[in-house]
Amino acid sequence: MSEPIERRNFLRAVGLLGAVAALEGATGAGRTLPAMLRVTRPGPDDPPIPNEAVQKIYDERFQNRPIQRGKVTLDMPTMAEDGRYVPVIIESELPMSAEEYVKHLYLIVDHNPDPLVTAFHFTPALGPVNLQTRIKMKRTSWIRAIAETSTGALWADYLKVETTLNGCG
Amino acid sequence: MPETGRTKIVVPDRIQRGDTIRVQVLVQHPMDTGFFRDANANIIPAWFIKDVVVRYGDQEIATFEWTSGISRDPMVSFQLKADREAPLSFVTRDNRGNEFSGTAEIKFATT
Repeated sequence: MSEPIERRNFLRAVGLLGAVAALEGATGAGRTLPAMLRVTRPGPDDPPIPNEAVQKIYDERFQNRPIQRGKVTLDMPTMAEDGRYVPVIIESELPMSAEEYVKHLYLIVDHNPDPLVTAFHFTPALGPVNLQTRIKMKRTSWIRAIAETSTGALWADYLKVETTLNGCG
Repeated sequence: MPETGRTKIVVPDRIQRGDTIRVQVLVQHPMDTGFFRDANANIIPAWFIKDVVVRYGDQEIATFEWTSGISRDPMVSFQLKADREAPLSFVTRDNRGNEFSGTAEIKFATT
């Protein structure tokens, strides 16, 4: 008759894990427990081009011009409910003046069926880039936020976001 | 879905001339990718907003390219230099040719 007790112990242990996960989620600390969505920043090398679809975007939009890291910050949560609703924040310190402004901003999810999830085209009528939106993710993937200024400079930030629930179908 | 395309634009209550304000836009739309099936295993056809145009008065201030990779009932927020009193409109067009729009009045606080 030990089965019910084992079950109760198991449930208690799981409940405790849940509480710890909730706490760590709230404080943003700890990456040891499995989370539905986890974020990693790249090392010194940029994430490699993973497939032809992303290469095509680079060819069409950036024509193999150099892309520097910096001036743009991509922010995504350490945990989200599912791949259908993944919040994204993109900020930039680049100016928004008539002389120089962020003219284009691209958001690429490497392993989505259509990797160029959205592209923004701006004028200096807008304030400094501080955007929020919600996107879908099919699976764990590098995410690229790439800004092009009116002078032609390209600035980027990259995050690897782990997700388990397919939001694209 | 009779409410499809309903567009809500939220701007701050009190705006002073020259403020940089946050504009938040919500559009009701299924944004179907075409990859999911319904309960009867029939494919739900792709149905999503592709083009967005933002106008401030008579000036086109931004355009967005959207795909079905944008979540259902899209939300986007951005910053605007509120330098004149004028309507701010957000016009979307989906892959079926439907056009939707919403407008908010940018007005400056009098006191």
